[in-house]
Amino acid sequence: MKKTIRTLLASSILAMSVQAAAETKVGFIYVGPKTDYGYNYAQDQGRLYLEEHMDDVETVYFENIPENADVQRVMERMVRSGVEVVFPTSYGYLDHALKVAEKYPEVHFAHSGGLKTSDNLMTYFAEIDQAMYLAGVAAGLTTKTNQLGFIAAHPIPQVLRNINAFTRGAQSVNPDVTTSVIWTSSWSDPTKEAEAAEALISDGADVLTGHVDSPINYVQVAERRGVYSVGYHADASQFAPKGWLVGAIWNWGPMMEGIVKSAKDGTWKSEHLRGDLLTGAAKLSDFGSAVSEESQQEVLDRQASIMNEEFQVWAGPIFSQDGTELVAEGDVMSLEETEKMDFLVKGVKGRLK
Amino acid sequence: MESFITELLTLLFAALRSATPVLAVVLGESMTQRSGVINLGVEGQMLLGAMTGFAVASITGDPWLGVLAACAAGIALSMVHAVLVLGCGANQIASGVAVLILGGGLSAYYGIPFVGDKIDTLGNLNHTFVSDIPLLGQFLGPITPTVLITLLAIPVISVFLFRTRTGLRWRSTGESLDITRNLGHNPAPYQLAAIAFGGLMSGFAGAALAVDYTANWVEGMTAGRGLVAVGLVIVARWNPWYALPAALLFGASEALNLKLQSWGVDISPYLLATLPYLIPLSVLILSYRGLRASGGGMPAGLKVVFQSAR
Repeated sequence: MKKTIRTLLASSILAMSVQAAAETKVGFIYVGPKTDYGYNYAQDQGRLYLEEHMDDVETVYFENIPENADVQRVMERMVRSGVEVVFPTSYGYLDHALKVAEKYPEVHFAHSGGLKTSDNLMTYFAEIDQAMYLAGVAAGLTTKTNQLGFIAAHPIPQVLRNINAFTRGAQSVNPDVTTSVIWTSSWSDPTKEAEAAEALISDGADVLTGHVDSPINYVQVAERRGVYSVGYHADASQFAPKGWLVGAIWNWGPMMEGIVKSAKDGTWKSEHLRGDLLTGAAKLSDFGSAVSEESQQEVLDRQASIMNEEFQVWAGPIFSQDGTELVAEGDVMSLEETEKMDFLVKGVKGRLK
Repeated sequence: MESFITELLTLLFAALRSATPVLAVVLGESMTQRSGVINLGVEGQMLLGAMTGFAVASITGDPWLGVLAACAAGIALSMVHAVLVLGCGANQIASGVAVLILGGGLSAYYGIPFVGDKIDTLGNLNHTFVSDIPLLGQFLGPITPTVLITLLAIPVISVFLFRTRTGLRWRSTGESLDITRNLGHNPAPYQLAAIAFGGLMSGFAGAALAVDYTANWVEGMTAGRGLVAVGLVIVARWNPWYALPAALLFGASEALNLKLQSWGVDISPYLLATLPYLIPLSVLILSYRGLRASGGGMPAGLKVVFQSAR
């Protein structure tokens, strides 16, 4: 009996000490399942990175939270349960997060991809279109039909940036290249994505890429039909041992670690934190065997020139689909302008609305 | 001219691919409703079938075992509907919705460890004699087994339903429980079998999606196709033969939406995205104009369901 009491006592002291050493609670909210092998998966990999690399951090998460007042309730619940840093990871959470942030000034919020801040709300994102530009270079050097296919969910700025960057990258090494876009009107509809891939291939595209939740579907169809593929969000090379060129992928962990640290030690800044190839928050995956040595070198040279800022992806001249000059030679689009992009560039086939 | 024919055939076979999972569900749900039971839970059964099929294919390395497991999972979940409706006399609409949500939740939860797995596919008709047929070979070659099985199910179901004694009792159960009882038959086994068959076909449809067509599991991957199939049962007038054109109508509209974009046709993608719903709906309205009095072939027993749901 005595022993039991002592054990109980010891274990409760142990529990208290764990509590004391700890624990900054960090909360994550995802718009889809964290297992989508895409956008939410990448964000959740960042969460797991925190769990692994920061001893004094405990994470919680909610999945499948729609971009409406529901997310406010979820954030309130998190805050009341002791969460000190909240990561609302979906674009449409921004205004809701601003409201909750105003109500709880002692809590820190880091929103993914937004363009508004408040005293305790910052935003973070990464210029993955740099990696898409480089993937476009690889595609432009590899294509034989000069037709690329792009399977896209919704015409929002982040998607348009990727379509345009990919196309411009390909055109920079192969001016005859065009990109056909198919909109699936859904972030995740595997059947439609597979069928869209079939349609693009049967109409002559020999490199496929996309911006939907998961690259797996179109990458597998491309492999089956014997054409090339470029991944997005997550590395899908294992699904296309023959046709995989390269992918543009996220690496949120280190960036999120920095944000949580700044909240803990008081160096928090209300800013638009943007990662890129240089910080490693967005990066190229490994090349597949379908990309020749020379092409790989060309892509890596371009990557170096982006990293040392010799070259900028959104430097003019940029022409719209109908040939109108949007950005003059010598001008460069600002961060704000690229994050509000609402056009398709020359050489892209497909309608915006 | 030849390129026109090629394009047309491309579209037709794309339609067939898109239509197959929907067709399987329409066939199963038609049979369920023919016994006087409506099951709105087919979407959930599809999802559970898709997840189970993918998981078993991933674990065992045998996609055919995956297909079998998917069918079993579909049947198992449909038994929830059977217990609620036949055992407890629950409202069929409510029970169906419960099964739908249950299937979505179970598949999402148990599917987590399998996301991003790579599975072997069932193969196709390439390198068989059909792929050597001139012109058609390039289209017949890529056809996969689930497409063939689903097409084969049409005559089998139709013979069973219209040419056998059991089929006759099955149909009479759907028309009137009282008459069936007065004839000395217990309707319960027929309704149980009908629900189970609907479960089997929707589980199979899930496998057609996850194991055969996309070789991928994604939470919620059916994206409403099960519910569309319940609607198409009405378009197909509870007839297995009409199920084919009804499902093809949906498949063709979905294929056309994507194909028109690939061709670069100058129509808004938002408008094109409504095609798979707009076209079957228009056909339903048109075909119903002359059929209102007869109910378009609806089993009389179903009227009770809709009245009790009000």
